[in-house]
Amino acid sequence: MRSYRLLALTTAGGLVLTACGGGGESVDTGGGGGGGGGGALVAAVSAQPDQFDPHVTTAYPSFQVLENVYDTLVVPSAEDLTFEPSLAESWETSEDGLTWTFTLREGVTFHDGSEFDSADVVYSYNRIIDEELSNSFRFANVESVEADGPQTVVITLTQPTPNLLERIGSFKGMAILPENAAEDLDLTTEANGTGPFQLESSNASRTVLTAYEDHWGGAPSIDGVEFRYITEPAAALTALRNGEVQWTDNVPPQQIESLQDDDSVELQTTPSVDYWYMSMNYARPPFDNPAVRRAIATAVDREAVAEAAWFGAAQPNQTAIPEDSFFHYDYAPFQPDPDQARQLLEQAGVQTPLTMGLMVTDEYPETVTAAQVIASQLEPIGIDVNIETLDFATWLDRQGQGDFDAFYLGWLGNLDPAAYYQEQHQTDGPNNYQGYSNPEVDRLLQQGAAETDEDARKAIYDQAAKIIVDDVSYLYLYNPDVVQAWAPGLSGYQIRADKAINFEGVELP
Amino acid sequence: MFALVQLVPGDPIRLALGTRFDQETYDALLERSGLDQPLVQQYVNWAGRALTGDLGVSFRSGETVTSQIAERLPATLTLAFASILVALVIAVPLGTISALRPRSVVDRVATVLSQFGISVPEFWMAIVLILVFAGTLGWLPSGGYVPLTDDPVGWLQRLVMPAVVTGVVSGSVITRFVRSSVLEALGADHVRTAQAKGLPARQVFTWHVLRNALLPLVTITGVQLAYLLSGVVVVEIVFSWPGLGQLALQAVQARDYPVLQGAILLFAVVFLLINLVVDVLYTAIDPRIRR
Repeated sequence: MRSYRLLALTTAGGLVLTACGGGGESVDTGGGGGGGGGGALVAAVSAQPDQFDPHVTTAYPSFQVLENVYDTLVVPSAEDLTFEPSLAESWETSEDGLTWTFTLREGVTFHDGSEFDSADVVYSYNRIIDEELSNSFRFANVESVEADGPQTVVITLTQPTPNLLERIGSFKGMAILPENAAEDLDLTTEANGTGPFQLESSNASRTVLTAYEDHWGGAPSIDGVEFRYITEPAAALTALRNGEVQWTDNVPPQQIESLQDDDSVELQTTPSVDYWYMSMNYARPPFDNPAVRRAIATAVDREAVAEAAWFGAAQPNQTAIPEDSFFHYDYAPFQPDPDQARQLLEQAGVQTPLTMGLMVTDEYPETVTAAQVIASQLEPIGIDVNIETLDFATWLDRQGQGDFDAFYLGWLGNLDPAAYYQEQHQTDGPNNYQGYSNPEVDRLLQQGAAETDEDARKAIYDQAAKIIVDDVSYLYLYNPDVVQAWAPGLSGYQIRADKAINFEGVELP
Repeated sequence: MFALVQLVPGDPIRLALGTRFDQETYDALLERSGLDQPLVQQYVNWAGRALTGDLGVSFRSGETVTSQIAERLPATLTLAFASILVALVIAVPLGTISALRPRSVVDRVATVLSQFGISVPEFWMAIVLILVFAGTLGWLPSGGYVPLTDDPVGWLQRLVMPAVVTGVVSGSVITRFVRSSVLEALGADHVRTAQAKGLPARQVFTWHVLRNALLPLVTITGVQLAYLLSGVVVVEIVFSWPGLGQLALQAVQARDYPVLQGAILLFAVVFLLINLVVDVLYTAIDPRIRR
């Protein structure tokens, strides 16, 4: 694992940004049979985007494409995911933390040639707020978004929001559209962004992007990108090996070891910002009893679960935030110990054998494997785990209704500690399905959400995380790796912990 | 059927919104989707629009259901008819030869092969073909679909493997029907009479045996075709074939009711049409049925 990570870092360090690499005329790769020719990258992704309206879709396959088509005011940097300028060149925060002033980049044009200015930002954000689109929760603290001249946007807040940059820039769901885009275009199938590639066409087999020559960061060096949907990992790998595609993220974890020594494929992994966890229902005795939850947390061997679910391509972690993050909190109170776990159960006065339903979903097959391992680890301490494998729709329904003993799932793409903890552990938080409530945690989470000093903020979240882990609101298990593979010789691509797929700087072999 | 689809647990709005959203967003989308209305009202609305050819709009993609189905129909038709072709090319000769020489080595081999074709998982066969013909040998692309009009060679190259997999499975089923119906026809009284009359063996076979054996063959081919036209999900997924099976599967997973209902309606129509064609073919093969 270590050597992989080093490899990823070396590439990151050696990344060459190819800002102005000729470009030439763009080539239509649509339906072009063999593909590959003419300098367009062919990427195998595992599913078809559901649609292309960045403010509406929540599907990862859509964002794989949109990442290359749209821009946000700020973006997470590839190295450490701190926020850096994109469409906003700089920003200032007022003394009281309630007013953020963004200075916009000049000379930026949309794909249709129109100028980008502050009206587009105001329109885009107000569209999300007024139409209550899926990301409107990100503007919960926002009182107004206003233009102050063509190059300045002022965001006024109801309370200090230190993670505002994360709220408006963590992914392309917060993309800037041209003013009135929703009226002028059918955004579900068309796009008009400021990104390095423009959406050319999309059908049930492929989505085709062409390079945007007038991109503010310089034209991409490849002529375009063709995303092909290949669901079956074995087929995706075959396509990569025989040159039909040059890049894929559809790599089965069990193949990682064998691919490592394979010269026909360049494989990289990096720890992701995702985390997987198990949670128990506080409304269902005996899981309301902290001693029972702690017994279970003590019985679970995270290494073994990670090994089974991800074939070792995951880092066991007893808190949510991965090791490489600034906000990582090194805290691991539970050592796998069946004897101690059994003792804890006895002290809690619980009658064994105790039956626990564990809800998993075939949408994420690794949860099924992991649940089997957890079941085998809980059996010796007198807990019979009844694994319920559901399709995701049913799973979500039952989670929403609180109809479960325990469930197993992950949170993906988190960048800020508030995103890691607030909605999940605050009393009545929108994603607090387990029913956790601790006034001390509530107070810390409120405080952390408004603290503007980074170090003080980390200290607050560390305290909150400690209580959450001790109370076993979530039983944190591991952070999986991002696994991607590409053709040897392909350069300028950087694997990212937030799984954003950006082909702007890529050069073909 | 309309109610049945919605009775399955699972909330399409929650699925469309993902895991992070607030209540206002949920309510706004619920109202836009029309799912807040009573089921009977929804059905009346849907049926009324369906009569005019409007099957509604997908919750997931925002595209019309008719355009989504129309986009995938050519791929499904291509694969279904190519598979039936492969199936018949396998089944008719193999079944006939087995029937003509029952219990011979040829017959035994054919039985084993068709048993293999029926029982081997499509998934496994598909992956093996990909690894061998696209991987090791590098003769064919690993999957995908291009329209015939864009690239005829690429179209054919991509069609071969999926058509062989589904064709082998359907062909194995059909082989057994061909064998038994030819055997039955061979033993019929009129065949014995024809042979006794001293007609050449070839003439007896084509006029008196094959023609009578054709009826069950048409029936089973119709059934297989209907099955293939409603989408072969596993093969479509493994070969990245953008057919109706994948669309229907995605619609089930996302609880995308409009798409699901559209697909079910289409499958029902396909089934009726094929039954009609089979009935018409009956009368052509056996004029007695007309009476």
